[in-house]
Amino acid sequence: MLINNGIDINCMWGSWPFRKLYKNKFSDLQQIHKENGIAYGYVSCMNSIFYQDPFEGEEDLHEVLKGTPYQHILTVNPMLPAYESDIERGVKEFDIKGVRVFPTYHHYPLNDKRFLGLCDLLKKYRLPLFLTTHVEDERFDYLLLQSQINIPDELMTFLHTVTDIPILLMSLRVGSIPYIGKEIREMPNVYIDTSCFKDPVACVEELTAELGDKKIIYGSQYPLNVLRSTLYEVTMAKIPEESKNRILRGNAIDFFNYKF
Amino acid sequence: MIYDMHAHLWDGQYDKNKKQIMTICENYNVSKIFISSLKDGVERPTEEDITRLNNATWQFMREEPSTIRGWCYVNPANKNALSVLRHGIEDCGMSGMKLWIATFCDDPLVFPLAEYCAEHQVPILIHTFYKVVGQLKYESLGTNVANLARRYPELKILMAHYGASCLREIKPIVPYKNVRVDTSGSIYHRDDIDYLKKMIGVKRIIFGTDMPLISYLLVYGQIMEADLTQEERKAVFSGNAKCLLERS
Repeated sequence: MLINNGIDINCMWGSWPFRKLYKNKFSDLQQIHKENGIAYGYVSCMNSIFYQDPFEGEEDLHEVLKGTPYQHILTVNPMLPAYESDIERGVKEFDIKGVRVFPTYHHYPLNDKRFLGLCDLLKKYRLPLFLTTHVEDERFDYLLLQSQINIPDELMTFLHTVTDIPILLMSLRVGSIPYIGKEIREMPNVYIDTSCFKDPVACVEELTAELGDKKIIYGSQYPLNVLRSTLYEVTMAKIPEESKNRILRGNAIDFFNYKF
Repeated sequence: MIYDMHAHLWDGQYDKNKKQIMTICENYNVSKIFISSLKDGVERPTEEDITRLNNATWQFMREEPSTIRGWCYVNPANKNALSVLRHGIEDCGMSGMKLWIATFCDDPLVFPLAEYCAEHQVPILIHTFYKVVGQLKYESLGTNVANLARRYPELKILMAHYGASCLREIKPIVPYKNVRVDTSGSIYHRDDIDYLKKMIGVKRIIFGTDMPLISYLLVYGQIMEADLTQEERKAVFSGNAKCLLERS
């Protein structure tokens, strides 16, 4: 299947502290998207995950994205004091389209009051939450070990607590999806991205059979992941073309048009 | 043309796995698939286990002779290991030996098996996997592979999963030209294949997936995205495997 207007809801820009990235310039992202029929993406800044003042990374990302169709997703660590001001400035100065959190790197549980406070703030600003369930396979962590989100219990409790903002579950493992399949299918605010669809064979066929095709959004997590691996999982899957179009574009549009 | 040098049947799942693998072959034009049969969660399979597992591989080879090739799975700690290997290669026509997690690959128990493989010019596929959490007791690493390669320079070795954490596990095997690596597994870092090319050259990279556990398309996409020329891509997909399997 050839696509010409896909949307990548999970792409990144910046450096990764644990290994050299060969293709991390913004022009690399634009080029691989163009080569593969993706019109634009929602970009978050990798540097901000590790900066003590994440907003400095966001300022850099804003400069990079200026004048392009790419959209800015603000990285926030709600354990830091006055993170609220970052969101306020992100809205005013960067026209951010969502807030991305990394609880496995910033080491807080999903029932932490400060994190739940962030979710309240997102409702106020009508912004979706990008919840990163893990960034990379924990087996290959180096120096800084990620903590784990307990699935299903911790995640399910969170989903039933925060029901009034759109939530994108990012990099969820295919094996854990059945445990929260009901929530994904039935809760209108809950979506998943495809960036960790890697096993077993024919996982997209299985997932669309189980979840339907309306809650799955294409995301690559490029340049950490191989974009073509994540893309082929959808474009070469044996599912209807209509489902592919929904995953590659339509569902992302629905996600951002969520009625608060 | 595509050769997938690393795929599995899992014990007790013959029909399901066979269907999964043959569906992938048909959907994506895979020419040859090299299978080993394993028993999930069992580090040291018994002689009976090994017989049953290799029989499953052989059955698949006979049922799909144009597509399926076999690795003979051996537990070096079993007394009959050498005769199992001999039977697999000479009677069943398997392409090489598979070592998993029963012993390190440089354990002296492996030496007579390695000598047989070197003498008969058949490769050894060695599960090689470094991880921060959950490392198994006898899970080989790049240094183990390097030790075996140094001891038997004529032995053809295929280091599976490029060691999983290639930034750490490739350096030990760089000097040993008799070691190639396969691309199988669930790691899909954007830059791993480019790093392998830089460190050991394209001729030592061989396509494998680890299906049905892992998605075929995941690894296929990795090769398609890497900075390889058309010729280099062909070599990774099949040419290098053919070289590995050649016997003079």
